[in-house]
Amino acid sequence: MGEKAERKDTVEMEKILDNAAKLGVSYADVRYQCYDYEMITVENKTLKSYISRRLSGIGIRVAVKGAVGYASTSDLSHDSLNKTLNQAIKAAKSIKGKKQPFSEAKINKANVKSSMKIDPINVSPEEKVSIALDANKAAWISDEIKNATTRIGLSKDSRLFMSSEGAKVSVETTLVGLSHESVAKVNGVMERVPHSESMCAGFEFIKSKDWNSFTADISKLAIEAASSKTPPPGTYPVVVDPEIFGLILHEAFGHASEGDSVFTGDSVLQNKIGTQLASEIVTIIDEGIVEGGYFFPFDDEGTKKEKTVVVEKGFLKSYLNDRHSALELGTESTGNGRAQSFENIPIVRQTNYYMQPKDYKFEELIEDLDFGIYIRGKGFTGGQVDEGMGTFTFGVGPSQIINNGELTETVRGVVISGMILETLKTIDAVGKKLKIWTSVFGSCGKSGQAATCGLGGPQVRVGKMTVGGR
Amino acid sequence: MELAELAVKKALNIGATEAEAYIQRTKAIRVEFADEIENFVTVEPLGISLRVALGKKTAMHSTSILNESEIDEAVAKAVKIAKVAPDDPNWKHVNKKFGKAPAEGYYDETFEKLDYREIVENLKSAINCITKHDKRVKPIRGALAMSISNVSIANTYNESSERKETSIFVMMGAKAKEGMLESTGTEHWEARFWKEINLEDLAVKATEKATKFLKAKPIASGKMSVIIRNQIFASILGVILSGPINADWVQQGRSPLSNKLNTQIASENINIVDDGIMHGGWQTKPFDDEGHPTQKTPIIEKGTLKNYLYDTYTALKDNVESTGNAQRPYYWMKPQPLPSNLILKAEEASPEEIIRETKKGIYIEETIGEQLSNPVSGNLNATVTHGYLVENGELTEPIKGVLISGNFYELLKNGIEIIGKDLRNSEQNYSPTVKLTQLTIAGK
Repeated sequence: MGEKAERKDTVEMEKILDNAAKLGVSYADVRYQCYDYEMITVENKTLKSYISRRLSGIGIRVAVKGAVGYASTSDLSHDSLNKTLNQAIKAAKSIKGKKQPFSEAKINKANVKSSMKIDPINVSPEEKVSIALDANKAAWISDEIKNATTRIGLSKDSRLFMSSEGAKVSVETTLVGLSHESVAKVNGVMERVPHSESMCAGFEFIKSKDWNSFTADISKLAIEAASSKTPPPGTYPVVVDPEIFGLILHEAFGHASEGDSVFTGDSVLQNKIGTQLASEIVTIIDEGIVEGGYFFPFDDEGTKKEKTVVVEKGFLKSYLNDRHSALELGTESTGNGRAQSFENIPIVRQTNYYMQPKDYKFEELIEDLDFGIYIRGKGFTGGQVDEGMGTFTFGVGPSQIINNGELTETVRGVVISGMILETLKTIDAVGKKLKIWTSVFGSCGKSGQAATCGLGGPQVRVGKMTVGGR
Repeated sequence: MELAELAVKKALNIGATEAEAYIQRTKAIRVEFADEIENFVTVEPLGISLRVALGKKTAMHSTSILNESEIDEAVAKAVKIAKVAPDDPNWKHVNKKFGKAPAEGYYDETFEKLDYREIVENLKSAINCITKHDKRVKPIRGALAMSISNVSIANTYNESSERKETSIFVMMGAKAKEGMLESTGTEHWEARFWKEINLEDLAVKATEKATKFLKAKPIASGKMSVIIRNQIFASILGVILSGPINADWVQQGRSPLSNKLNTQIASENINIVDDGIMHGGWQTKPFDDEGHPTQKTPIIEKGTLKNYLYDTYTALKDNVESTGNAQRPYYWMKPQPLPSNLILKAEEASPEEIIRETKKGIYIEETIGEQLSNPVSGNLNATVTHGYLVENGELTEPIKGVLISGNFYELLKNGIEIIGKDLRNSEQNYSPTVKLTQLTIAGK
């Protein structure tokens, strides 16, 4: 978004807010977005696709007698914006609301950008394609590799928020990364290992890393996985690495701590503030700006995202809220109102959700285990949670059996499952090294909206986890 | 001139040897609710996606801004990228076969006229059903989404083809509480027609599911026969088979079904088709996302693998005809061969009969995590959130929290004992209730 464009959009947005006031709405906000995105895919040493995309438009949210309506358009002409405003008002009037829909909030004015040295969208297409091609070629380390797919993902997301209360917040976040998946076949068994690394930075991040050894390592792991067994099914003590633990925490506990599922009673955490939910070594944080995570200084309601302590030494301290859930729960927004794009209404979402590290070295985490599994994230294939009951299940990467306090053979096709409130209580040791990650490739889905999040934690030992395999 | 045609013309004018433009204009509403309706969202997403070729070099660019100057910029950007792309030796041309297949039941004209207040009133009475039905139960977060989508496709070889589709998705949930016990139940439905959806019926089913599972418990690990409800097996079918029958996966060495055409990969009772023209199907349409007519394609016939699914690019690579399966999950994505309506053909038994014929096993009502199943190795996994023990032909104890696992390809060969008659969909995947001989269960 150039300075000139920004000024022009600001003027249009102010006009919408003025018109909204004339039409009798009690609250209005307008969100402008311009999102540029590129995805370069190389499969089996050839460029499969180069996709470039621009998404831009305006979303208008209004409250009429406490009822909330929303409409959006990517036609920024004056007539279209007026039509969109009327559409939002009509939508609000079709339902009955309460006295007011949102909690009180501090009115912010800010203009912030994530760190970026080289604008990734402006880098020449040749340079991007050649990095992806080289990385892909490096993955073909043996005849056992049957397929290799490499992607470079680049995004720049500029958002401007203005409200009838006087807020004006502009945030620009650049996110880039490289992902790779190798498929190996050994003695008739096929396995795939996907993995990626992303960073809120410019193209300098892509230039700074040795992606050829990154993809070769993934191929090695795929071959090792295809030649290994699946684990014996049952319930065991496990040590979980930061990548997968961050994911479990986000999916199975993080979502349950989102205020919109708390006030409706969806969440297992309803009415649990002040109660002990986890062992005393567990502290859980949601924070807008952390190293390795997604850059999220302000939310899509103009609220500053500060550090929220969700669980402190095992006790539930706070939920995550936007201005609607905050009102329902009689509290303040924690800056967690997020929308996928201008085509969506903000809902409560996590930002960078992680567990605080403690004092264990990795060797100390495994040395007391007669039998267990070291659950690895590299190569994980996804997960799902039944929020109402706190049941989670994840397909994790190739993992290792722990036998008499030592790592032994690799196992493939590992699936873990548990009930989060039981899992958190059986955490008996927490590692000392914190790792937080985000991704330009995957995102978290909720209510039909995707959001880029940061996840992580240290290595964590869990007393009981159900492990499936074939 | 239609905008799609204009974009194609502009691309050819600045040096593209071929061009294709896909424009999608959608009107969508989404209503979120729990015990009350929270907000009413109406959006009109639109966008144009351009694919250009310069000889054998290709690129795509899309934008959500549909005015002429933005189209000029978009076309220039696509051509700029294509110029520096390496040659794709397999590129021949964009789609050259157009027309409409006799598909029906994908557009509901009542959508345009539907008053927002009618939707709100219908939802409110369904939400009230939950609390009225059982005092221990409360509604949890649900959503209703409806959309009308207009697509037009033009390319170097064709003026624009147009189609109009409607769809509705509903999710309703309930949570039961009794003392320390808690349980949830959710129901979802995807359809093309507003009148197909019975919101109150969904509400009642979700409520019953929640209360019945208050006392559900895991069972011990072991191996036993498993009956899987239609929608759940439909979802598993889609997760496992969509990739391996995709010609792109086959050509790229990702598919375990490579080199298996016309060989027996399943037992004789297995018949699977991809039917792009079935009446009212979730993905029924007259032509695919490249403008190629859709069709009905047998995938597995009496256990024999008959076909893979093709778009234009993969078909030209194999010297065959496209099966009309080019799909763009979002308008800005590259078309790829994906199933239209993937159907496991129904047989005779009702779910009740299947249960009656089972001495010992489990009946699975609801799972999470079946998406984690691995289509490459065939490893099938899911966590049962709602299930029953089956003893002597009857559903007995409610169970939850156990993991099922098995290998899908082995199941196809000799593990699907009974196929029911109650065909139902989970999005574009259709299956009846099935009984599997043996699956591993990881429990207590």
